[in-house]
Amino acid sequence: MPTYDAVVIGAGLAGLSAGIGLAEAGARVFVAGKGMGATHWAHGGVDVGDVEALSRRRGHPYARFGDAVGPALTAHLARLAAAGLPYRGSPGDTPRLVPTAVGGLRPAAILPEAQAAGLQPWAGGEGLLMLGIDRFKDVWAQMAARNLARQRWPDGPAEVRWAVAELPWVERLHNLTALELARLFDDPDWRARALAQVRAALPDGTWRIGLPAVLGLARHAEVFAEARETLGAPIFEIPSLPPSVPGIRLFEALRERLLAAGGRFQFGFGVVKVERSADHVVAVHTQGASRTLRLAASEFVLATGGIAGGGLRATADGMISERVFGLAVEAPPQAEWLVDDPLAEQPLESAGVRVDARLRPAGVRNVRVIGSMLAGQRYLSERCGDGVALASAQRAVQLLSARSAWSSVRNVAS
Amino acid sequence: MTFRDAANREFPPFSTDGCIKCNVCNTVCPVARVTDLFPGPKYEGPQGQRFRVDGEASPDGSVDWCSGCGICTRACPTGVLIAETNNRARASMVATRGTSLRNRLISDTDLLIRLGVPIAPLANFGLRNRLLRWIGEKLLGVARRGPLHLFARRTFTSWWRRRPAVAVEPSAERAVVFFHGCAVNGFEPDLGRDAVEILERNGLSVIVPKQECCGLPFISNGLYDQARRKARANLAVLADYARRGYRIVGTSTSCTHALKAEYREMLDLDDADARAVADATWDICELLVELHDEGRLDTRFGPMPMDLPYHPPCQLKSHGIGTPAMDLFALVPGLRAVDSNHDCCGAAGTYGLKVERWQIAQDVGRGLFDKVRASGASVAACDSETCRWQIESSTGVRTRHPIEILAESYRVYAAG
Repeated sequence: MPTYDAVVIGAGLAGLSAGIGLAEAGARVFVAGKGMGATHWAHGGVDVGDVEALSRRRGHPYARFGDAVGPALTAHLARLAAAGLPYRGSPGDTPRLVPTAVGGLRPAAILPEAQAAGLQPWAGGEGLLMLGIDRFKDVWAQMAARNLARQRWPDGPAEVRWAVAELPWVERLHNLTALELARLFDDPDWRARALAQVRAALPDGTWRIGLPAVLGLARHAEVFAEARETLGAPIFEIPSLPPSVPGIRLFEALRERLLAAGGRFQFGFGVVKVERSADHVVAVHTQGASRTLRLAASEFVLATGGIAGGGLRATADGMISERVFGLAVEAPPQAEWLVDDPLAEQPLESAGVRVDARLRPAGVRNVRVIGSMLAGQRYLSERCGDGVALASAQRAVQLLSARSAWSSVRNVAS
Repeated sequence: MTFRDAANREFPPFSTDGCIKCNVCNTVCPVARVTDLFPGPKYEGPQGQRFRVDGEASPDGSVDWCSGCGICTRACPTGVLIAETNNRARASMVATRGTSLRNRLISDTDLLIRLGVPIAPLANFGLRNRLLRWIGEKLLGVARRGPLHLFARRTFTSWWRRRPAVAVEPSAERAVVFFHGCAVNGFEPDLGRDAVEILERNGLSVIVPKQECCGLPFISNGLYDQARRKARANLAVLADYARRGYRIVGTSTSCTHALKAEYREMLDLDDADARAVADATWDICELLVELHDEGRLDTRFGPMPMDLPYHPPCQLKSHGIGTPAMDLFALVPGLRAVDSNHDCCGAAGTYGLKVERWQIAQDVGRGLFDKVRASGASVAACDSETCRWQIESSTGVRTRHPIEILAESYRVYAAG
């Protein structure tokens, strides 16, 4: 008798979302993560790409479930809002430009509320003030402002300026990172003094203020509201180098939800062994301190990410392998993996596992593949990674819930 | 292939080359979260390691503020053994520079129990006396508000010896070796009795061989030579049982993790004995879930209608066995166990007892204490002893081992 209804392998956006959806549907679910990563490295916004165009592209994951992006996104944003992490934007919104930490512009449609004021359009006469923090070397406001002034930015700000604020006490820290600043902002006393110093550093004028994404972690909503009020201007956070504070907020909200819905969660141990019987998987084993942990289930969801996430491994001899089940990987030939321009679309991005309409890879009956592992997407250059993750996770939850009347064994077995 | 993935893990691995400087470890470190004395596991581990030479002191003493919770190692997406690297760095520092009398004393739990239990009424008077605790803080550096448990009036082993002896040693299929650890022996013998009762109820005879402290307090304090002496003494006894197929079971997820991993990962005791013992060692809840999977667990649990805040301790999470206590709680009618979803209680063995670290330990555990208090529950649960004592002393909420909850539930059933 399997211990779990479903075991989800991977704890990024796709894996956590699938785990939550399954737990909410009444399944006994175990989410096994190897380490943290995806969420902590990303900007916290939701990039879905051009759903309509990509849905027409043969072989793209959206060709199978592009229609699921809207509903999945709506559910995801409702979940985050309930967790005190509101987002702005809805499925179908046209992407607008928002400034980056180095003074570039990127298109975004769905952003955390704390980042949303960076979106176009800007009112006539409204300027942008890029605010840096003294000693914080991940964001250089002067450089960002100078670069932004050179951008083609329709409906952008009338003027871009920069300022640097000195914050109290931080000279005592070994190394000032976004994480440490965010934790300091969680402290009401320090925050009050810091915001007063920021206000004193502001030049006269009508500004929207872009500042590094450091406005609190556990008490982010409170910090953001207070900052907006004290500074008396629209403010927006700009994500900087990893670790990403908006990404940590996202991860924590999802983990809390997963546990509250009754899901089990473990991180720190990858899958090292798979038990099979003919065309289905009986159990996976995660590495443990001495013996492995056997996770038997009727269904398995593979959400280990692509090459960056560690789900795929590429070796110098040109082999790309899927690391948990050894599934067949679809990839361009090695000579075409990369192009010289590092910022161009890289063919290697499209490597992944090909699935059928029910998200199943060839040859295995009870494994569903979701997220960046799916073949045919370029999750970075097409900016579709979050959309694919959320939509495939929701599709997997629907497929599994429709198939199984969950044994409703809330207990270990019976 | 990262080190954590290796089917046959080799120790000690030099894993810091795997670091991609992503800082994920720094985001999860509970100590760096509350104090700037500890800059974070990445700076201490993969980065600091470049400046360390075998046999020489670590150039930066801040690594000593690491509490050893191990969360960094689990969070690392590329499999770097960060906490282990840092603990070794501390040990090399202690080996070259020495350490305080306080650290030597509070690590030597066997000695404390030998001294304390025979004079338990007097010793406990001292532990409860504010003036004496204040003096202990000034003289020794043991925090006067640190979570010290009272000595038992009788050790677990003295209770055990008075049980009728079994003439024939039961076979390995029908018996387990109980590693009680020092907490059960000198402080919480009732937990040991509950564990024996539960194991026997489920058809497993219990063998309690002569044993010493697992050595983990010495490991945490960087006293590797002393830890190795304890480890060798235990391996000499346990390896024979392990080879004969006996499972070694403990209630302390800290001791059992030392047997499973730390003897090899930190003490370089990676021989056949250590491997046999590691493979044979089980956390008691892990074993009960295994019995249940095999359909062999007595599930006649009596109802315990209550909310139970449950804190899975760091050492348990380092086992990689999920949260077996949650699976067992789910078998008890009416029991609503809630995972604390908090990283660390702060105690980290002896860390929270040290006067200069007491406040850090309190700050680390604060979110947990708030949750436990806010739950309104009269009892909480946690698998590791010093974590239980920390939660109990910081919240006033009685905190018990999952086994004690289950034993109580069996008794409720028996009472009809």
